[in-house]
Amino acid sequence: MSAIEVINLQREFQTTIGVFNRKKKIVPAVKGISFEIAGGELFGLLGPNGAGKTTSVKMLTTLLIPTGGTAKILGLDIVNDAEAVRPRIGFIFGGERGLYWRLNATDNLRYFASLYYLDPAVSKKRIPYLLEMVGLTDRADEKVEGYSRGMRQRLHIARALLHDPEVLFLDEPTMGLDPVGARELRQTVRNLQDEKKTILLTTHYMFEADALCQRVAVINKGEIVAMDTPSKLKDSVNDLSVVEIEVFGIPPETVEKIKTLSMVENVSVEDRDQLQLLLVHTSKGAEAIPLLISELNGLKLGKVTTREPTLEDAYVRLVGGE
Amino acid sequence: MTAWQRIKANLRVVFMAFEIELRQSFTDAFVLFGIIVQPTIVAFMALWMLKDQVANYAIFVVVGSAMTGLWTTLLFQGGNSITGERWTGTLEPLSCAPAPLRAVVSGKLLANITQSLLSLICCYTFISLIMGLPLTIANPGLFAGSIVLTVVAFIAFGLIIGSLFILNPDVQRFQNGLEFVVYIFSGFLFPIALLPMWTTPFSYILTPYWAARALHAASSGTGSDGEIYFCWAMLIVFSILYAIVSKFLFKSILRKAREDATLNMQ
Repeated sequence: MSAIEVINLQREFQTTIGVFNRKKKIVPAVKGISFEIAGGELFGLLGPNGAGKTTSVKMLTTLLIPTGGTAKILGLDIVNDAEAVRPRIGFIFGGERGLYWRLNATDNLRYFASLYYLDPAVSKKRIPYLLEMVGLTDRADEKVEGYSRGMRQRLHIARALLHDPEVLFLDEPTMGLDPVGARELRQTVRNLQDEKKTILLTTHYMFEADALCQRVAVINKGEIVAMDTPSKLKDSVNDLSVVEIEVFGIPPETVEKIKTLSMVENVSVEDRDQLQLLLVHTSKGAEAIPLLISELNGLKLGKVTTREPTLEDAYVRLVGGE
Repeated sequence: MTAWQRIKANLRVVFMAFEIELRQSFTDAFVLFGIIVQPTIVAFMALWMLKDQVANYAIFVVVGSAMTGLWTTLLFQGGNSITGERWTGTLEPLSCAPAPLRAVVSGKLLANITQSLLSLICCYTFISLIMGLPLTIANPGLFAGSIVLTVVAFIAFGLIIGSLFILNPDVQRFQNGLEFVVYIFSGFLFPIALLPMWTTPFSYILTPYWAARALHAASSGTGSDGEIYFCWAMLIVFSILYAIVSKFLFKSILRKAREDATLNMQ
């Protein structure tokens, strides 16, 4: 039996537009996704902002009722058996919300321990253990409002693990963390995987999914566009090379013009302080460089390199450069 | 988990929510102003105006104003604390924890009521001592019993109101309207006999009405013991009824909130 089984799951939101002549508008957020996650697997759900990752996790954690399809956690239906699902899952949502800032870490955990019906004798041992595990023992008696973002995120993890759930949902857990904080948190996730927890991790950091997940599904505009192991997804872009050109002050119209070149599949621009890094996906490899440089005529250029595609490049191909 | 173990676990949740709500209140300067400074000023003004009145009139007004304070605290502090949970993103983890959300809300309401009640009792006692105006309670035993049942009745009533705040944050717009409706129909400040006859059934289904009647009768000595016991019986019956209704209300409202995605402030 799969730990998580999702069949054609859908969710629409209703919104209103206009002030005087208000009209209802249906916005589809998740358009029928299906996947299965085996017990003890760490599965990644990748996608850009607004792709439907958080909505999917909220449905699976019983916070939202789907408008279509079904899903089962450990064989239990997320709508009809919601009360039986809840003690067996843990979840954290990215960001700093979801904690009591005017309380300290210990009191936050004591409160949630009671909500999960933990025996006081058990929670007395479990809370210090979890605080130690997430590295908050020394700050446990300080109010959460004085914590850094990374510390709050680690407290979220401790909260989610209080009742030792079999299945964990981690929605963008490293969002907004500094590199050191993010690395520590990834190590915590690895440790959880070693404990054979089933984990659904959503992220838009490709290297994170590559480093942690056994399988990933790429979700875009509410639909799963690919699902495989990270290495197989990378194989799907073996026909491509990536040309990286450092350029100073590239105008948007030049980027648009490069996109129209026949040998170019995708173009993206990353800001790097004073310069931009132009990333061009092309099947021609280094042969494309002269033509690309001619298109950038008149602009100050830095380093020009070619490299093998990564999972991020596979992702960019799948989500169409978004 | 056996039924008895579940009851014990849920009671633990109620007391934990009570403790957490109080701890949070005492670290909020605005709340401290509301429970210490403001009631002291109100008590001073009320007792200054009543210093030449007969004793049982003074106690009628003091109990009446205490009831209004209790109801306002329940409605605003209780309602706003649920909205606050929504803003801070904690309503979601509370709603999908194994413990029923009703237990959490009951604990929060108990904290709000206790806080309000203690603050009012302390302020009025303190000011009456300073002004040398004794506030005599005609029947202290029945008054104490009425207070206990009032707390229970207000929690039961608060559960009905609280469920509406969980449904949608827009309910806050109607807070002021709800505040005065209950003041008037419950006879906090003047007897409901002054209202049109057709409004009486509304008063009878409100637990604050029976609470106000019991407290007024026990404090001023204007009602018989039998009348107070009758009010107690009504408080118990309606509190049980409210608790049963709130159970179904919470279930359907939480489902509706999950359908409409209103558990979190987006």
